[in-house]
Amino acid sequence: MEFDFLSKNLGRFWELTGFANAEWGNIIMILVGLFFIWLAIKKNFEPMLLVPIGFGILIGNIPFNTAAGLEIGIYEEGSVLNILYNGVSAGWYPPLIFLGIGAMTDFSALIANPKLMLIGAAAQFGIFGAYMVALAIGFAPDQAGAIAIIGGADGPTAIFLSSKLAPNLMGAIAVSAYSYMALVPVIQPPLMRLFTTKKERLIKMKPARAVSQNEKIIFPIVGLLLTCFVVPSGIPLLGMLFFGNLLRECGVTNRLAKTASNALTDIITILLGMTVGASTQASQFLTPQTIFIFFLGFMAFVIASSSGVLFVKLFNLVLPKSKKINPLIGNAGVSAVPMSARISNNLGLEYDPSNYLLMHAMGPNVAGVIGSAVAAGVLLGFLA
Amino acid sequence: MNKRLLLILVAVVALAIGASAQSRKAVRINEVVVENTPEGIADEYGAHPAWIELFNSNFAPIEISSIFITTDPAHKVLYPVPLGDVNTKIPRRQHIIFWADNEPCKGTFHTNFTLTPGKDNYIAILDADSSLIDEVTVPATILPGQSWARTKDGSGEWKLRDGEGDRYITPSSANVIKDTNENIKDFAEKDAHGFGMAIMAMSIVFSALLVLCLSFYGIGKIGSLIARINKARSESTADNTISVVDVSHDTGEEIAAIVMALHEHLDAHDSENTILTINKVKRAYSPWSSKIYSLREVPQRNVRH
Repeated sequence: MEFDFLSKNLGRFWELTGFANAEWGNIIMILVGLFFIWLAIKKNFEPMLLVPIGFGILIGNIPFNTAAGLEIGIYEEGSVLNILYNGVSAGWYPPLIFLGIGAMTDFSALIANPKLMLIGAAAQFGIFGAYMVALAIGFAPDQAGAIAIIGGADGPTAIFLSSKLAPNLMGAIAVSAYSYMALVPVIQPPLMRLFTTKKERLIKMKPARAVSQNEKIIFPIVGLLLTCFVVPSGIPLLGMLFFGNLLRECGVTNRLAKTASNALTDIITILLGMTVGASTQASQFLTPQTIFIFFLGFMAFVIASSSGVLFVKLFNLVLPKSKKINPLIGNAGVSAVPMSARISNNLGLEYDPSNYLLMHAMGPNVAGVIGSAVAAGVLLGFLA
Repeated sequence: MNKRLLLILVAVVALAIGASAQSRKAVRINEVVVENTPEGIADEYGAHPAWIELFNSNFAPIEISSIFITTDPAHKVLYPVPLGDVNTKIPRRQHIIFWADNEPCKGTFHTNFTLTPGKDNYIAILDADSSLIDEVTVPATILPGQSWARTKDGSGEWKLRDGEGDRYITPSSANVIKDTNENIKDFAEKDAHGFGMAIMAMSIVFSALLVLCLSFYGIGKIGSLIARINKARSESTADNTISVVDVSHDTGEEIAAIVMALHEHLDAHDSENTILTINKVKRAYSPWSSKIYSLREVPQRNVRH
């Protein structure tokens, strides 16, 4: 056996390895992926999302020789990762996640006190505030819309909309949305304290009335018809959300509701998180635009949380004294379910250990899910 | 399978067939050149016959094999699009060209008829069941090299195109060529700061949720009204019962007798299932499920001391 033959083949193999193809971008992204995994495992920040995304970033940033045509990269047509990524690029994972969200969400708090829906609507100003900032920075309207949806604090909605309006920015938008959702406990409390007085934080709200089974069944049907007649472009998300909820509430499809809220959601979460992570290949992700997207995502969260709280204060001016709303539930208008509602509750208990706001905050919280899906539909309708 | 399931299955199949038939109705005649010129588009043999462009106005692919193309209202099934060619599937919102050269032996897209310059040319496409999908009459005034085309793909008026200005001839492509997204361009020009978008979008989001909010106020009110009525009704029934029956003096035997009488009177007993089913329980042996092959105990010899 000739030495030349051996060295030639080993040399060729070396050219295929990650070591020979590594660039600084890959190393940086691998560090980002490791940071996400650390955040999830050590700090318990949204582990269900950050572990798949973090690991996906590792998968997507292992360098390889793209010219070799091995069909292994997420952007190479026909590769396994590319097939799994179709759910993201074609936008069919997010509606399935919404089916699961619908099947696990109890809308009772909202049905019992429908005016809380308006808080969910007000918090969507985060989206359109960020849209204005994105335009000012120099993004085109469609890109600005895709970035601004981060303010909806809803990962699936952000992925769905960006896959339609700005597919090239989707990786950065998705990672930004999920990162800030994980950071909601850090971002929101200072804003809630800033915009409320001590007296307002002590407002005790009346316990919500009991909601009948019939009302719970009517809600997803009427909700679907009303919202989708206004914004038909929201059908994929709202349709699945309300469908999932009907499965849960109708009482005769428990098995389907259980599958939608457990097994199906888990499967899609794994695939969605992993492929979104893998889509952040350094060559696509490490651009100046990504920095702007992260900045805009932060702005969107700040504006959304603040506008929710400020809207409640405004709303209280017209409400009778007995029906005042504690502005600490305003932040829950962003649809990071149930994290932001939990923050309202914790902050309420900090100022009054007997003031449990969780169930009240769940109203705007789930309204935020509907609101952000409607907002996504509006943006899609205007800009697609 | 019970009858109900069978009915549902039949309905689903019928719906699927209906949907498929519906989708072929979305095929449109989009542009026609009656007399092609050497400057015009050539077929795969380099010839310049007349052509008919079809457009799939659907947002899903459409398979057009077995539809008919005709130029004769009296002879509806003039040219059947052959089966078995993968190219007869028109992708969503895409175009396909048929060459009207009376040479079907040249391939699927060469028809067995021609168009006649200087005369009105009637062209129609019909579904496999001969139902009309679309039709057009190209006027006799059309000159060589000119096309008769819709102003928009799949819809709009028919207009003459002579290749001048924006009246370009567009074989196998969109009749209106867009180089930008008009919506985005509009927003970029007229709403550079995004205030318009913010106002419009927030109004829509608020309206949608406000409508939902008001609906559930209404539904809640109706629900509580019904609950109040039901409560009042049950309370009044309870009052009547108490006023008529005084159970304190009744013995257990009397109550049991009353219950039995009611039971007989209302015929409220369960209908017994008189069908006895005996299933033979058979446990087929398989070495794959046999414990003796899967037990992992190490045999030990009993040693007697």
